[in-house]
Amino acid sequence: MLGVDGLERERRREVVARLGWVAGAAMLLLLITVQPFADANAWWHLALGRLITSHGIPAHEPFSFLTAAHPWVGQQWLLDVFLAGLVGAGGVGVASALLGVVAACGFVLAALAVPRATRAGGAWLAFAMVLSGLVASRLLGVNAQAISVLAIGTVLYVLARWREGRAAAVWVLPPVFLVWANVDTLFIAGLLIVVATLLVTSLTCPELASRGQLAAALAASVLLTLVNPYGPGLYASVITTLADPAVAQLTTVWASPDFHTWWLRLFEAEAALLVVVWVTSGGPEPEDAIIGVAALVAALWSETYVALFAVIALPQVAGYGARAWRLHVTPRTAGIRLRGVSQRARGIVAGGLLAAVAAAVVVTGARQVTPAAAASYEASHYPMAAADFIAAHYPGQRLYTTDTWGGYVAYRFPAGRVVFLYDQGSTFGDAAAQSYTKIHLLQSGWEQVLREDAIQHAIVLDTSQEASALHELGWAVACYDSASGGVVMSAPPPGAVPSAAGPLTAPPAGSPSC
Amino acid sequence: MFVGAVFVLSLLPVTSVIHDPDFWWHLRAGQLILAHGGLLGTDPFTYTVASHHWTMHEWLSEVLYAALQSGGGFGLIVLVLSVVTWLGLLCLLLRAALRRPNAFALGLGLLLAAVAGYPIWGPRVQMITFFLSALTLLAVERHLVRGGRAIWLLVPLFLVWSNLHSGFIIGLGFMALILIAEVAGGWLRWRDGAPTGRVRTLLFVLLACTAVSMINPNGPAILAYAFLTQGSGAQQTLILEWHSPDFHDWVVLPFAVMLITLIALVVVNRKLRARDAALVLVTAALSMQSVRHIALFVAATTPVWIDQTSTLMGRVRRRSSQDPRPRPSLQFRVFTFSVLVAALFGIYASIRLIPAMRVTPSSLMYAKEYPVCAARWLAQAPEPLKIFNQYGEGGYLADTLSARGDKIYIFGDAALMGDPLLYTYAGVTSLQPGWDTTIRSAGTDIVLFDTGTPLANVMDASTRWVKVYQDPLSVAFVPSDRLHTLSLPAAPTSYPRGDPCAQLTSTALDTAAQNQ
Repeated sequence: MLGVDGLERERRREVVARLGWVAGAAMLLLLITVQPFADANAWWHLALGRLITSHGIPAHEPFSFLTAAHPWVGQQWLLDVFLAGLVGAGGVGVASALLGVVAACGFVLAALAVPRATRAGGAWLAFAMVLSGLVASRLLGVNAQAISVLAIGTVLYVLARWREGRAAAVWVLPPVFLVWANVDTLFIAGLLIVVATLLVTSLTCPELASRGQLAAALAASVLLTLVNPYGPGLYASVITTLADPAVAQLTTVWASPDFHTWWLRLFEAEAALLVVVWVTSGGPEPEDAIIGVAALVAALWSETYVALFAVIALPQVAGYGARAWRLHVTPRTAGIRLRGVSQRARGIVAGGLLAAVAAAVVVTGARQVTPAAAASYEASHYPMAAADFIAAHYPGQRLYTTDTWGGYVAYRFPAGRVVFLYDQGSTFGDAAAQSYTKIHLLQSGWEQVLREDAIQHAIVLDTSQEASALHELGWAVACYDSASGGVVMSAPPPGAVPSAAGPLTAPPAGSPSC
Repeated sequence: MFVGAVFVLSLLPVTSVIHDPDFWWHLRAGQLILAHGGLLGTDPFTYTVASHHWTMHEWLSEVLYAALQSGGGFGLIVLVLSVVTWLGLLCLLLRAALRRPNAFALGLGLLLAAVAGYPIWGPRVQMITFFLSALTLLAVERHLVRGGRAIWLLVPLFLVWSNLHSGFIIGLGFMALILIAEVAGGWLRWRDGAPTGRVRTLLFVLLACTAVSMINPNGPAILAYAFLTQGSGAQQTLILEWHSPDFHDWVVLPFAVMLITLIALVVVNRKLRARDAALVLVTAALSMQSVRHIALFVAATTPVWIDQTSTLMGRVRRRSSQDPRPRPSLQFRVFTFSVLVAALFGIYASIRLIPAMRVTPSSLMYAKEYPVCAARWLAQAPEPLKIFNQYGEGGYLADTLSARGDKIYIFGDAALMGDPLLYTYAGVTSLQPGWDTTIRSAGTDIVLFDTGTPLANVMDASTRWVKVYQDPLSVAFVPSDRLHTLSLPAAPTSYPRGDPCAQLTSTALDTAAQNQ
């Protein structure tokens, strides 16, 4: 039997081991969270950040030639400025690296939000971190969600400490919300998590004295969210955005998840696992169940909330999973022990593994964030050469492109209002969205939209239906961007009878390179 | 009384006119099987896959369609399939009743099931699979709870089912899943498991059912065929019904409600049999993958939902400990129940069943969904034509035009079409470069598509295609270099009064909805 000193040593060993697991998982997560500019919206956020830095937040949409239905609500202005500052200081790679670290820290905080009383082992924490990271991976990168993951992780960590009696921890929340409300609309989810926790603990633990402190911190947080360029109007604009059909039309992540894709199948698996560990661990705390189910409903409604679910589920999968393991598996495997390996040896091996993982992550990650890698990624995923061609041959002329590339085009041509549309449905409104979808989906009257808006040039993928359709109208391929697969197409001269010479091929035969 | 009323009311969502686009080619196939006295080795409808071997896995359903149509028209088909679906709901009711649930929970669960399955209900062959799946689950549950030999009746059932629809594999899958769950539950010492002897009998029944399933014109290959669709990348990505549920669509919301409330009930009660857990997990995962599997979810989990709700209500009632209210006399209850059921049946028949049975193929309702008017025009052509058609309309065109020798590009038997053709077709409809060559090189004479679709709109703007026919639903194009070599009838300028094509012209069609 261990004496007091022995118990203390054992406890410290457990803490170190747990932290080691968390550190290892966090480093592995960097492989997922450090991403190049995969989110096409990052480009127009960057352009907007530069604009805000030089001229302040615009009152109206600044890049498109379309008339936006609503005033510009730069709710993410702080992200835009931050992004512009990062890219200005160190290039695109620095932005990728820093936001990747931010997201990974969010998962670490969520893991540390597991109640200490559950004594969840490091393996469970690491497993939950990696699983949640993979589930959220497609939504992370150089965007506001990476910061929201950190913020949600912070909220969960603070609430966990508050439930353990460290009431003062709640005063971290107001400054978090002050920043968050100027970065991403998901701050509202954070407020709802706090509200739900407060309400449920009022019913289940009415004797809890520190509820007053949490209520005060919540009130302070709500007040500080009003410290944004739009004041209380920010809440109205968030609700308007959620209800606007144009947003759903233009933004694919607003659709319900497509469970044929691997990462959403992982989301499905994590949701199923969460329910299983809830049931087999003896039942979740009411606030955990309410928040977990609400996050699941939100994620089923819209793919964009899958990352929110992943972060919320993380501490619950780890905590309740560990409890269920102890209840059902440990009694059956109690006789099986690893023999012949001392604690010291295990520690050395674990330390070595951790160092190896860290080295691999640094080497792999570093390769991704170099200027050359960033430029190569930009050229292969965005119409960089096509945009160069447009800048050289058709400066100041209106362009059609899909909303996926629209943000990049806005970044390349921030002045002159040559951009058609990009993923900002809440500002553009229904009429603009209809104009875009008419061309994009080749609905009746699509050619008329091109004529009425005096669009003479387009940057589209060579395999897109727009390319085929424009070809039938007699538009010629001006150049082919082989790195991205984009083509620059131009309308026939006014008065010319449209006649397509022959079928369009991909890549277009005989076209000059951009 | 509540349960009885709900059960009668559940007839409403399961009864409708025929919306299934595959119905038409199934009907035609059934007629051809009866005419030839045997199955067809290849399809007589297309000019693209005529050499492909046709696995007619639904031949018995198709013969049934043909027999019902000749005996009583479309109305009889609507009636029979509505009753089949309703019988499926009855099986859910009986399976739930094995656990003696609270009557309110029973009625509520049945109502939720009837509404949750709404995206899938309708006169279609899949309803036979829904009914037989529900029946299989009832028989298995009854056996595990009460024992006996009635479960052996599943063997002749599977002999028939494997000739009706390849969905019999789902029945086998359910039995295997329950077996695995019972064995695993026993090992994990999960409570409420079935006695070992009954589980062993279930294994033998499963083996026997699997064996008799191979007694069909396609032999043992039918077992592998049933997995073809699940493994087809083209079908999973291109066919709408194989897509994941869109929770922005209100018709899917009842399913979402059922799923989320079931999760909440399971978490609160924490009392779930191993086989119920397995059925819930697997069918929920299948439903998330494809909308068409919502019917399986309903079949498998409705009794679980009812049981969980009843358990929760029992816990709440124990806390409140109310004295039961005195009930009216049995005579009064029987009389009231009879009047209520008769009234509900009357309402159902008058507002739903009879109107659905009265709709004929030449009605305006079908003219809005299928190229009725265009097919009538094409039927006047002096020579057979090769028609590049829309996937969902292939069945209708096969039914109306194949007898005169016209051929279509594609129709709804996706396994027969094969992934290469499906991807090629998708490339044309999404106007990928080479779409024009694809149509021409297949030997197409004429393209018939819905108005307002991308292909139709681009062809309209192209100088290499000429529009030769248009009505509010359909438009037809021919290659401009073949306009003078093809013999086509003159496009109609007017229709007799009362003709559905005349009404179609004057009816505002929501082409956006058509193009969904």
